[in-house]
Amino acid sequence: MNRIARSAGALLAALGLATVAACGGSSTDAGTASPTTPVELTFLGYSVGTPDLGGQAMQALIDEFQAQNPGITVKTQPVAVADVLTKLKADTAAGSPPDVAQIGWSKMAEAYADLPIAPVQELAGAEWADHVGGPTPIAPSLLEAVANEGVVKAMPFTMSVPTLYYNADLFRAAGLNPDTPPTSMAEIGAAAQAIARSGAAGTYIAAADVGKSDYLTQSLINTAGGSLVSPDGQVTVDGPEAVNALTQVQALTTSGAQPAISTADAITLFGSGRLGMLLASTGALASFEKASTGKFELRTAAFPTIDGKTAKPTYSGAGLAVLGDDKARQQAAWKFVKFMSTPQAYTTYAQKIGYLPLRPALANDPAYLKDYFAQNPRLLPALSQLDTVAPYQVFPGGQANRAVVVLQDEAVEPIVLRGADPTTTLKAAADKIRSLSTR
Amino acid sequence: MTSTLDRAAPRARAAQPGPRGRPWLYLVPLVLALGVWVYGPLLWTGVLSLLDWNLISPNPEFVGVDNFVAVFGRPETTNALVRTGYYVLGMLPFATVIPMTLAILLWRRPGRAADGYRALLFSPVVLAPVATAISWQFLLSPQQGLVNTVLSGVGLPAPNWLGDPRTALPVIVLVTAGKIVALNMLLFSAALAGVDRRAIDAARIDGATEWETTRFIVLPQMLRTIALLSALCVIVAGQWVFTNVAALTRGGPDGATDNIYYRLYTEGFDFFDAGSASALAVAITLALALLFGAAALWNRRRSRA
Repeated sequence: MNRIARSAGALLAALGLATVAACGGSSTDAGTASPTTPVELTFLGYSVGTPDLGGQAMQALIDEFQAQNPGITVKTQPVAVADVLTKLKADTAAGSPPDVAQIGWSKMAEAYADLPIAPVQELAGAEWADHVGGPTPIAPSLLEAVANEGVVKAMPFTMSVPTLYYNADLFRAAGLNPDTPPTSMAEIGAAAQAIARSGAAGTYIAAADVGKSDYLTQSLINTAGGSLVSPDGQVTVDGPEAVNALTQVQALTTSGAQPAISTADAITLFGSGRLGMLLASTGALASFEKASTGKFELRTAAFPTIDGKTAKPTYSGAGLAVLGDDKARQQAAWKFVKFMSTPQAYTTYAQKIGYLPLRPALANDPAYLKDYFAQNPRLLPALSQLDTVAPYQVFPGGQANRAVVVLQDEAVEPIVLRGADPTTTLKAAADKIRSLSTR
Repeated sequence: MTSTLDRAAPRARAAQPGPRGRPWLYLVPLVLALGVWVYGPLLWTGVLSLLDWNLISPNPEFVGVDNFVAVFGRPETTNALVRTGYYVLGMLPFATVIPMTLAILLWRRPGRAADGYRALLFSPVVLAPVATAISWQFLLSPQQGLVNTVLSGVGLPAPNWLGDPRTALPVIVLVTAGKIVALNMLLFSAALAGVDRRAIDAARIDGATEWETTRFIVLPQMLRTIALLSALCVIVAGQWVFTNVAALTRGGPDGATDNIYYRLYTEGFDFFDAGSASALAVAITLALALLFGAAALWNRRRSRA
């Protein structure tokens, strides 16, 4: 019996060890680091580790950071964009969050609530003003928009706003002048009708997003003068402005100017040169440039106005957040975040990925992007709107994710693609969202 | 093999304390693995279903059956349950009649051609599920997919297969069916291997037609397999379609392709609502346990009668 107990004990111990080893991860090797001892930072993100140009450019930046900071190595943890928050929550629950994470702005409120995020502005201390200011400052409107409780908690990293892509060849074929692209929803409708008459598909407003994100929906509602949530926290997604915005998009579908297809299908259609216009994120620019080469002339225009009101597109993209509470690691992480938000870094994101240079003065700086933009002006219309960009709004209550899915699945998609009545459909969705936010 | 055993035997015997303890020792690794990977998480899910907790905050709150009330009070859950039923009904012929017919046809004409067909029909099983789903996405694309290009070429309407709530669920069933037909055909072939061909030869001599031998000799011997695969279909039809739902429609449009397993995933990983997701998981486990208990009881009564 003794032997059995001993063998069983050994087995148990072995299994226990294996389990500990599996769960431990970096928490055991994290330790406390002083500035003199080498630090290995983990960087979790969805723009790293990809085999495309963007991923390579990001890795080159990381390599350069390591060369400049011999005591710090950065280990990347690539994850799919949809899994970022899940992975961060799981890692935090297991006690080993990464040191730096790329988190989407639409998920940021939830991240602030659930994750041990150390605000970058506080980590920077006296360095902050110099870093975000200087000869090529980060757009102040942007810092204001991303601030939470008056403090910038995550560094603006990659950012895109919606822009109107258009196919200049289809414009010419429809008898339109590609040098004067549409500037309002009404003009988009008229141009789309002309393109549809010439045999191609007219336009697509990517409100029914593939990833169930409401970022284009918000841009449309903001531009029409409304909002998702009022300043005092009331859900206003069934307000007359929201109804008006979605009614106008629906009218494009019912008039035949917009095909009733998913955003994914519309992106493929535009890339193949058979869709006249596409209102979607600047993040797709690099892939459209590749798809259009040798096939059609790709151009861009600014986000359209609605009924004469100024365009207020919402930004999407991600911020860099520092996690964990070890002071020395936090400082090393801040160094990294600082490096990833230098003029040089933003230049790389703009050139290689198509994200907006968040230090807008770079666009006119011959040392950075002036020459590039002279050759590739397609980001400029979106960049010109950075001053009126609206912050991403989050529904109140702890069920914001559920609320966004209700808005997109039960209102936006049925309205713009399948002809549901905008007023009653938005009202029903808003009521449901209100009941979620009070729960 | 024998010689190894022979050599090992004396040492093993010396290590054994007695015949009563030995089985337990052999069971330890399995019991531990099951405990750690199956029953532990199951128990933990049960606990989670009674808590209001995001898995991170230090203060989980005990809420009793609130999670169950909340999750089953949502119209999405009811819709998902109904849709799961549709999936089971839609998938049933592809799990039973069709693979059995194919298996019998191939079994009746043994030879190199049959082996070739069998390999071809089996190929969907080994293809990567997500890659297959993405291929279907291209084929079914409303504006430039091959399916609609062919349809409009011959003057037929070109629907938005995955974007129309009326067609989305049947399309998901058809897209998934290839794999299930292939897998179940293999299981039916295995069952057919046990059928004695001499009985069929004897029936032929007595003047039975092909159909009669199939109907009265082969089919009765297939009944157990049919029952097993039907039961399997009822339980896992919703899981079979999961990859295609996740990759092609994400439960949409208008919830048309949702099912209870995808809803469970949505609750857990889209909404991070561990309580609701666990409550749903516990309810599914209990429902299936009841179903199986009832089936086992019925089976025992029948065999006694």
